[in-house]
Amino acid sequence: MGDLFVGKSHARVDTEKVTGRAEFINDIKLPRMLYGKILYSDRPHARIKNIDTSAAEKLPGVRAVLTGFNTPDVPVGFLGDQKALKKDKVRQYRDEVAAVAAVDEDIAEEAIDLIKVEYEDLPTVFDPKEALKKDAPLIHEFDARGKPRRNNILPLPWKLTAGDVDAARDAAAYTVKDEFSTTWVHQACMGTSGGIAHFDTNNNLIFRSVTNVPFGGKDRLDMFLKNCKISGQTRVLTPFVGGSFGSKLDTDIYEFILVLLAWETKCPVKIIFSRKEEFVASPPRQPTIATVEHGCDKDGKLTFRHVDMLLDNGAYTSWGATTPSVMMTSMSSLYRVPNIHYVATCVYTNNIYAQAMRGYGNPQSTFVIEQSMDQLAEEAGIDPMEFRRINANVPDEVTPMGLKITTCPLAECLDEVEKKLDWKNKHGAEGARGVGVASFIHVGGGARVYLSDGQGIILKADDEGKITMITGGTDQGQGSETIIRQMVAEATGFRPDDVNIFLGDTDVCPWDVGTHASRHAFITGHAILLAAEDFKRKILDLAATWMQNLIQANFKRKARRDPDFEIPQLDYVPLSNPDNLEIQNGAVFLKDDPENKHLRLKVSQILRKAHMVGTGKGEMVISEAFYDPPNEMLDREGKGNLSCCYTFGTHGVEVEVDTETGQVTILKYVAAHDVGRAINPMLVDGQIFGASVMGTGYGLTEEILVQDGRVMNPNLLDYKMLTAKDKIPMESVIIEPIEPTGPFGAKGIGEPACVPSAPAIANAIYDAVGVRIKDLPITPEKILAALKEKKAGD
Amino acid sequence: MKKTIGFSVNGNSVEVEVRPHWPLLRVLRDELELTGAKPGCGEGECGACTVLVDGIAVNSCIYPVLEVEGREVATIEGLADKDNRLHPIQQAFLDKAGVQCGFCTPGMIMSVKALLEENLNPTEDQIRHAVAGNMCRCTGYVQIIESVRHAAGLMSQSKE
Amino acid sequence: MRTFEYLKPVTVQEALDLLDRYGEKARLIAGGTDAMVMWKQKKISPDFFISLRNVTDLNSIKVQGDLTIGSGTTHRSLELSPEIRKDFPVITDAVVNLGSVQVRNSATIGGNICTAAPSADTAPPLLVLETMVNIIASKGGRSVPIDEFFTGPSQTVLEPGEIVTDFHIARPLPNTGMAYWKHTRRKAMDLPILGVAALISFEDDLKTCKKVRIGLGVAAPTPMRAKQAEAFLEGKVLEAGVLEEAGKIAVGEAQPRTSVRGSEWYRKELIGVLLKRVALICQERAKGAADK
Repeated sequence: MGDLFVGKSHARVDTEKVTGRAEFINDIKLPRMLYGKILYSDRPHARIKNIDTSAAEKLPGVRAVLTGFNTPDVPVGFLGDQKALKKDKVRQYRDEVAAVAAVDEDIAEEAIDLIKVEYEDLPTVFDPKEALKKDAPLIHEFDARGKPRRNNILPLPWKLTAGDVDAARDAAAYTVKDEFSTTWVHQACMGTSGGIAHFDTNNNLIFRSVTNVPFGGKDRLDMFLKNCKISGQTRVLTPFVGGSFGSKLDTDIYEFILVLLAWETKCPVKIIFSRKEEFVASPPRQPTIATVEHGCDKDGKLTFRHVDMLLDNGAYTSWGATTPSVMMTSMSSLYRVPNIHYVATCVYTNNIYAQAMRGYGNPQSTFVIEQSMDQLAEEAGIDPMEFRRINANVPDEVTPMGLKITTCPLAECLDEVEKKLDWKNKHGAEGARGVGVASFIHVGGGARVYLSDGQGIILKADDEGKITMITGGTDQGQGSETIIRQMVAEATGFRPDDVNIFLGDTDVCPWDVGTHASRHAFITGHAILLAAEDFKRKILDLAATWMQNLIQANFKRKARRDPDFEIPQLDYVPLSNPDNLEIQNGAVFLKDDPENKHLRLKVSQILRKAHMVGTGKGEMVISEAFYDPPNEMLDREGKGNLSCCYTFGTHGVEVEVDTETGQVTILKYVAAHDVGRAINPMLVDGQIFGASVMGTGYGLTEEILVQDGRVMNPNLLDYKMLTAKDKIPMESVIIEPIEPTGPFGAKGIGEPACVPSAPAIANAIYDAVGVRIKDLPITPEKILAALKEKKAGD
Repeated sequence: MKKTIGFSVNGNSVEVEVRPHWPLLRVLRDELELTGAKPGCGEGECGACTVLVDGIAVNSCIYPVLEVEGREVATIEGLADKDNRLHPIQQAFLDKAGVQCGFCTPGMIMSVKALLEENLNPTEDQIRHAVAGNMCRCTGYVQIIESVRHAAGLMSQSKE
Repeated sequence: MRTFEYLKPVTVQEALDLLDRYGEKARLIAGGTDAMVMWKQKKISPDFFISLRNVTDLNSIKVQGDLTIGSGTTHRSLELSPEIRKDFPVITDAVVNLGSVQVRNSATIGGNICTAAPSADTAPPLLVLETMVNIIASKGGRSVPIDEFFTGPSQTVLEPGEIVTDFHIARPLPNTGMAYWKHTRRKAMDLPILGVAALISFEDDLKTCKKVRIGLGVAAPTPMRAKQAEAFLEGKVLEAGVLEEAGKIAVGEAQPRTSVRGSEWYRKELIGVLLKRVALICQERAKGAADK
């Protein structure tokens, strides 16, 4: 396929965003709409003895006050361990205890303040290690099926083994073992969560949602309606979304509450989270505690990796508990390791619970693996860069997990970083400066986490020569609308400006599993190629039928107007065979004679003629495709080729540590990424830069501070996201091995660049000042304390 | 006690009935239906609500609405011209991918407008200083800086 | 419904009359960047806000050797003032990274001082400048030295009916260097974990300290002067050992605590480190001014 449009840094097409016209959930108003607010618990673990809503109900302007006592008792959440409004007890601060709908936000807030809840405090447990113990307070007394629980451990025994780790350990020349931890950080999207729900006259739920999984969301809401004995079906509509980064892959509790409020009031109800609610009540990234062991032979080749992980699951279960399924990818396949043992245990506590966040566990697993790799390199006396080169993945191998690596320029990524960081001179150099490196592996060709990893699209042509692509996918800002136009134009022969995109309506759009796992460009690209093949064939068939006729008609018209005009003698015969024809830039012409100015037509003329030809003969061009990639679901052992291809990359960082304050300055940051093929290099850079800054925040400054279950910094002042002034001198290197399984050769890029930042920085700090910080974030305090300890020990 | 105040928005005179405790952001979005400026935090931390009052950038989410009486407010909606031709800053943000999800964009562009009206040749540090109060989670700021540079170039060209 | 009345006097006298009339039900507001947030968080709920934004007399910077800053002067005006940058750069240091451009366009130095958070960025600089706070009330005016102005976290000597009109700062001695350093986790939109301001007037050798003033922020319930450290440094030649000792003395005088924003031990570490660095910047600046 040519590169007229694909491979070019086409400008972004979102004029609505730069003019302020893009409608986000905050901007939508419906007639008779009410405003909803939620009352959260102020205890981490307590029985609810009584909820007095009488004052709230009497407040003028209040249309509904709901609690667990006047709403159906329906379990939600993927383990069914939660209810929308809590009735028996609260298990964390921020448990939803009541909800109101009122005619304006001020009244809704006032009503919330009038609700009085009586609690009876229960013993708490906040440390996941404590929560494992036999005598720990039980967070859930019963499971989703009503069976009594004996402990706080979730029935999700994540385990992946390959080979014989014990034997490998015995035979290893060098081994290292250490404990690491990562804490909660937040997606911190600029647009806070929110939704609008209403029921139509047939009891169908129309839900305006910020979700990235409209069809998954629809399924969950349909199930909820059924369990609430509401007879309708759900239609999900998605407006523009102010960022997601994984926060919009589950159906959150406030969404179920919206359904209940809408049902009770029979009006549209809107909830928008305040920034404080966003931090407190929208689940963050999964924290982890890991013991990591690595071993290698005397030449530095890895022989085994053993990781034991404990996940603080908080009070309820969302996607955080499934992050081990993605962590398995790096645990088993980041670098070539023949013997693997990975176990992850999830345990309930009275802390906040976690959901998906960009990277979905990979940042956590890569943090622990890549620091341990550096430790092993040191133990073996091998330079960390060289150590990684020795163990780098290579193309066309199958990993112990069953991942089928196709293209793999990991060695090239390492080379680029080594060169651009001046590694050989900088590593081990004197002074408080140092360099560090970390690589990653991530899914690059979809990920079969559900039974289907498919997406359907429809391409519809109109008489003006425009295509509308109807797709079930969603955008979270990464620029899919721009690259879709490029890909559709490239594949159909139309122009990017001719392409419109319709998305965000589960009634109209074909099914898509969701914008997650960095899959959007890959899957959509394939769907486009499939549909475009049919689309183009249909148009060329019509062209073959009508071109001669139309060209001659044009000539006749010209001759009538201009008597001096001589109709040229042309050989029209080749035009009648579609195999001789091509479309490009919205025009149809002869493949063998592309410059011929007579034997060419705008595609719109052909479409119009075909449509308007007359009685019983009109034709329109519509094509559809449902692309389900040839990847595999993981089997019971956690093995299988989860994705069609895998993306690799390496980040290298040069830091300077202020040894008196512990502060870290990043002097240089190099991000080398295997993208298969960049559909739009500028937008690929956008993902690399954006995610690298997010990853740097993960490494150095960001954390949700939780004290005895309570979020202590639920605002943008105290949650330290990096600002524009926190400049990181950053360079991106795009490597394009041209992936054979990828559409136009492309792999996914949405998540990977936030994966290796933290360990690269940690490794650089170690090179600079000889202290290794094993828990995130790597704050100045931790560095200073470690330096003092080191000094005292020396 | 509701009060009626008159001020100018994007060159148009308006008269609005407001409650004193409403911040300017709420009046712009709910009363005037100019939903470009966004509510990101409500506390003046993120800058998604940035508009210009008499040419200077403010966080409208904590700007007491009664202070805007008699003043000129400029929002993102007033930037493109009557024929929908984009202002160079808007065009630049598309050309250089300074916009991703778009939520911070209206506020970001207004801060940039205030900067470029004062200084058509800012250094990178000056750009970062000017938008330090506009948080963006998507771009990592790199392509925003490039967009501002590009905008400055476009604006200088059109002046010649 | 929870609301307030918002009044916009245009003269100081009008503002005073309103304050007297509404007494405890009223609260002054200037830029509103603190007050509006506190109102939203339900930390304050006055019936009346009396805005000083339109009392243009309060918005002024007068440099005539000495310096008088109207309390209603925005941080942005201070940031952009070339005279302040040249002659009183410790103030420029305080405001250049206070909040953001948007915040500085509204927020005022009077607001920052009267809100009196221990982390107020303008406080340590005004402390080392030995600022006089001029206050007016219907019953008369008074002046309070700034190091007597703060009485506790978010508490000042201001009584009901009083308005701070301006800050007066005497002309610095020759050979003076001054600087403020705010230690933060990120480079913008941040409150200091610790803030250190220093003003050192040197002897003509530009090495011996003649007069030393040290202001610390977030090191005590109020912004404070480290007077023992000052006394120790006066008369001494500025060098590493001396600064080290001064740092230890300053730590002894301070009472930092552990909060969400930083721990006690780290703040104590920073006092010593930053005092040393800020003192050296003062020396650089004094030399630089002497060179001109």
